[in-house]
Amino acid sequence: MKTNERTVFVEDLRKTFYDESRGEVKAVDGVTFSCHPGEVFGLLGANGAGKTTTLRMLSTVLKPTGGTASVMGHDVVREPQAVRESLGFYSASTALFPRLTGQETLRFFARINHYPVERLQERVDALISRFGIQEYANARIEKLSTGMKQKVSIARTIAHDPPVLIFDEPTVGLDVLNALEMVKVIRELRAEGKTIIFSSHIMSEVEKLCDRIAIIHRGRLLALGTLASLREATEQHYLEDIFVHYVTRAEGLEAATIGVAGELEEAP
Amino acid sequence: MNARDIWILYRMEIRSALRERSIVVNSILMPIFLYPVLLWVMFTAMTFIQGLNEQFTSRVALAGAPPPGHGSVLDSLEARDDVELVRGVGRDDAISLIRAGELDVLLSFLPPDTGGAALPGNFRVEALYDRSEARGRNAVARVREVVDDYRTRWIGQETEARGMTEQDRRLFWVADEDMATETELGNRVLGLLVPLFLTIMVALGCFFPAVDTTAGERERSTWETLMTTSASRHSLVTAKYLYVATMGVSAGILNVVAIVVSLGAVMAPLLGETEGISFRLPLMAIPVMLVGAMVLALLLSAGMVILASFARTFKDGQAMVQPVYFAAVVFPLLLGQQTDITLTPGIAAIPVANVAMMIRDAINGVFVWPYIALSLAVDLFLVLLCLRLARFILRFEDFLIGSYDGSFWRFAKERMHPRRSEKDLA
Repeated sequence: MKTNERTVFVEDLRKTFYDESRGEVKAVDGVTFSCHPGEVFGLLGANGAGKTTTLRMLSTVLKPTGGTASVMGHDVVREPQAVRESLGFYSASTALFPRLTGQETLRFFARINHYPVERLQERVDALISRFGIQEYANARIEKLSTGMKQKVSIARTIAHDPPVLIFDEPTVGLDVLNALEMVKVIRELRAEGKTIIFSSHIMSEVEKLCDRIAIIHRGRLLALGTLASLREATEQHYLEDIFVHYVTRAEGLEAATIGVAGELEEAP
Repeated sequence: MNARDIWILYRMEIRSALRERSIVVNSILMPIFLYPVLLWVMFTAMTFIQGLNEQFTSRVALAGAPPPGHGSVLDSLEARDDVELVRGVGRDDAISLIRAGELDVLLSFLPPDTGGAALPGNFRVEALYDRSEARGRNAVARVREVVDDYRTRWIGQETEARGMTEQDRRLFWVADEDMATETELGNRVLGLLVPLFLTIMVALGCFFPAVDTTAGERERSTWETLMTTSASRHSLVTAKYLYVATMGVSAGILNVVAIVVSLGAVMAPLLGETEGISFRLPLMAIPVMLVGAMVLALLLSAGMVILASFARTFKDGQAMVQPVYFAAVVFPLLLGQQTDITLTPGIAAIPVANVAMMIRDAINGVFVWPYIALSLAVDLFLVLLCLRLARFILRFEDFLIGSYDGSFWRFAKERMHPRRSEKDLA
């Protein structure tokens, strides 16, 4: 399913915030990567590394201070609505409307993201069936358990059948079973040819799920490659060790660039 | 902006709101039931208190007796069912009993002041009572009624004995004639109450939806969910604004309907035929009230949405919006006290107050159309200003992600600060 077509393209993306006490803060500092259909692209970083800011820029919630980014060929600054129509965004901060039912939620998100009206009911029924939410499709979201909400939430993310999906820390707050369910769904979506950007600070999830991994630290991309290439470059087996390797080096080497194989190279 | 997106978002907001108890209560049930219930409670309470007062027997102690020839004043007092004469109580004891609430009034029959001394046998009655007690005030009123009747009767007898008729006795008087009809009197009462209640209801109708759809969304983490849909920011905010305005307008319309219905069904039967007051709104007042309610809703919802959209929690949102709510209520409350003021160009320039005054005039059958048009123009202009402000605020992405400590004032302060970079304009 994986192709070389570029669905997401990010080049030298930057975001600077102003903070009263700290002044200008570079939350994202020159990040470059691209993603392809049928791929799970992992964004790995500690809390505050710049993952969410990067993804928020991709989803057009935030506007980049510098650089460019596009989704399905649509520029995030010039065509924000077309970008949002092409992607589904799932994160802990994108909750469901508690007073709507599951069915109403799916209809709403499909319609607002311009899914064809004539195929709307068919799509909603298919999602309800796919996620096994028939029993509580007409119950209000506020009455559902965390697991049930999670299913509706994933269903609403893909309600308009977008080619690109962003999952920002999707397993935060979930128990083991629900987290496994989430991983399973993401695999299925990959098999359907979706481009998936998966951000997490949980190494095991990234290790299991991602085709390529980008390690981000203090707003900078420290490494980018497949798990195998990262292992080879660092001579470490576990992703946790690989991550620590890059972060430790970055803390000591402020001026560094990313090599072709994803290796961090000292700048001349 | 996309009309289709706005419609989808608007429907979702309305559907969601109608399932929220506090919104349904404040924006729908209160406007409907406030008038009938409030009026019923008010009149029932008044009748109840009046009944309680009438039920009490006034305990009246006597110090001394009326001069010879005027003993029948005591007979008249004693003849009343609601007065009980207590004899043989000394002045000091009577004072103690009044203070203890066991006696209502002490009557002393005293010689007249010098002005009335020419008439032999004249007297004055000194009533000693506790004015802070309703029973004391009632007792004095009853005694005064008896003495006034006695005096009228006595003067009548004396002048008749001297060959004077009742008409002969009337000298230098003012004969007034009230030209106000019962409806006019009723409408004057309504003119004082309705603008105040209507403003409160419209403001209340906007209040909870405004906070719920902005600060409430942030608190529930659904704000960002909406921002990641393909609807534009402007469509999103327009839909929210229209939703809040709809709730305010519906609260206003329901309130007007409740007023019209409750006038006939609740107030009239409570007041009865004998009160000399009736309630009938001029037909033209109803559309003026409806238009006034709509403009008020558009104005208040614009202000409330802007302020509440900075808040990060429902509680913060309430705190932000409350000043608008109180400001909206204060104008009609203050103007309500000034019964002789009507809509002038000056008042037409004051938002909220102009609508309140316009409605009051309309209820009283006064329609100064140029000033009404000016009032509406002023308020709609302010609505446009608010929408422009909202559009300006939307440019700032840190507003969208909930910065500025949840405060509009902080936003205003920081945005005026020269240090602030313009890099993060969205």
